[in-house]
Amino acid sequence: MQDNAPAGKGGFRGRLAAAVTTWTIYPLLSLWTLLGIALFPVAFIAWKLVTRWDGGRIMRHFIWLYGRGWMVIVSPFVRLRRQGMEHLRQPRGCILVVNHLSFFDTYCMALLPCYDVTFAVRAWPFRMFWYGRFMRLAGYLDVETSSWDEVREASAKVLAAGGHLLFFPEGHRSRDGRLQRFYRGAFRLAVETGAPLVPLCLTGTGKLLPPGRLRLEPARVTLRALPAIDPADFSGPDSHRDLARETKRRMAENIREMGEE
Amino acid sequence: MTDQEIIDLIDASLAEEFELDPADMTPEANLYTELGLDSLDAVDMVVVLEGAFKFKIREEDSVREIRTLDDIHRFVIRKKRLMEKKTA
Repeated sequence: MQDNAPAGKGGFRGRLAAAVTTWTIYPLLSLWTLLGIALFPVAFIAWKLVTRWDGGRIMRHFIWLYGRGWMVIVSPFVRLRRQGMEHLRQPRGCILVVNHLSFFDTYCMALLPCYDVTFAVRAWPFRMFWYGRFMRLAGYLDVETSSWDEVREASAKVLAAGGHLLFFPEGHRSRDGRLQRFYRGAFRLAVETGAPLVPLCLTGTGKLLPPGRLRLEPARVTLRALPAIDPADFSGPDSHRDLARETKRRMAENIREMGEE
Repeated sequence: MTDQEIIDLIDASLAEEFELDPADMTPEANLYTELGLDSLDAVDMVVVLEGAFKFKIREEDSVREIRTLDDIHRFVIRKKRLMEKKTA
């Protein structure tokens, strides 16, 4: 759990490391973001001509590449590790659920070996002027203001096309590193569509940038994929609730183990 | 069951189901804006109440008007009393 809990202030060396991390990553990330926005129109057309992909898929690929750029920027200060990625090799689209600790958690999804991931998020990120329009282009799902039928229909299309759906079932970033209560949309969707559910456990971003703080700190970030859970193993009217409980149990166990490593 | 016993059972069932902090569960607490439930939770909440009180309420229109914990308390108490009258 220690890697998920926000860090203390530390000594002089700790404060110096945090200052260097902060004053390096933010400017470079801003530059990388501006460069991405400037190059986007030309790159989009070029990708379209070369790949013939639909716009949403191209955008999701770009977002994944943007995340990869973030990984390069933070790499001098953040040790990034990934584990269990073989569990994502599924014959069909999966539903991914990941715990939520930090604004940078979404960037960490570039650690995934697949780029065609549609995020299911709350309404507020769509209102960020520098990200919102790209999220819409990518076909991300607004699970807060959309009806359940709309979410289910859009999700079924994503999965049918072989893409993955990603949920933060806690809905909010954890303030203390502990798993919060899980909203059940992702689990109901898994039961209704039969799509495999792959739990993802993230540690370390809560030290890098916890909620309520702007200062960055060097951290070790690990993303671990757990074996896929087949929703068909859960039956009856409470199946989605049982699936949510079992998923949370497995994630809590792994996050605890990862914190002790 | 007394009214208080019904209220206690409702609160305990919802706290366990949705991992709610009992301190936040004041009668006037809005289920959606204050306790953080969403529309899917509302469906699960009905299932939880049906299981706890052995009645069927999912088809009732007044369920959709529930907004606060107090709304649930009053709805369930009324429902229980109606059931008792029918069986008396």
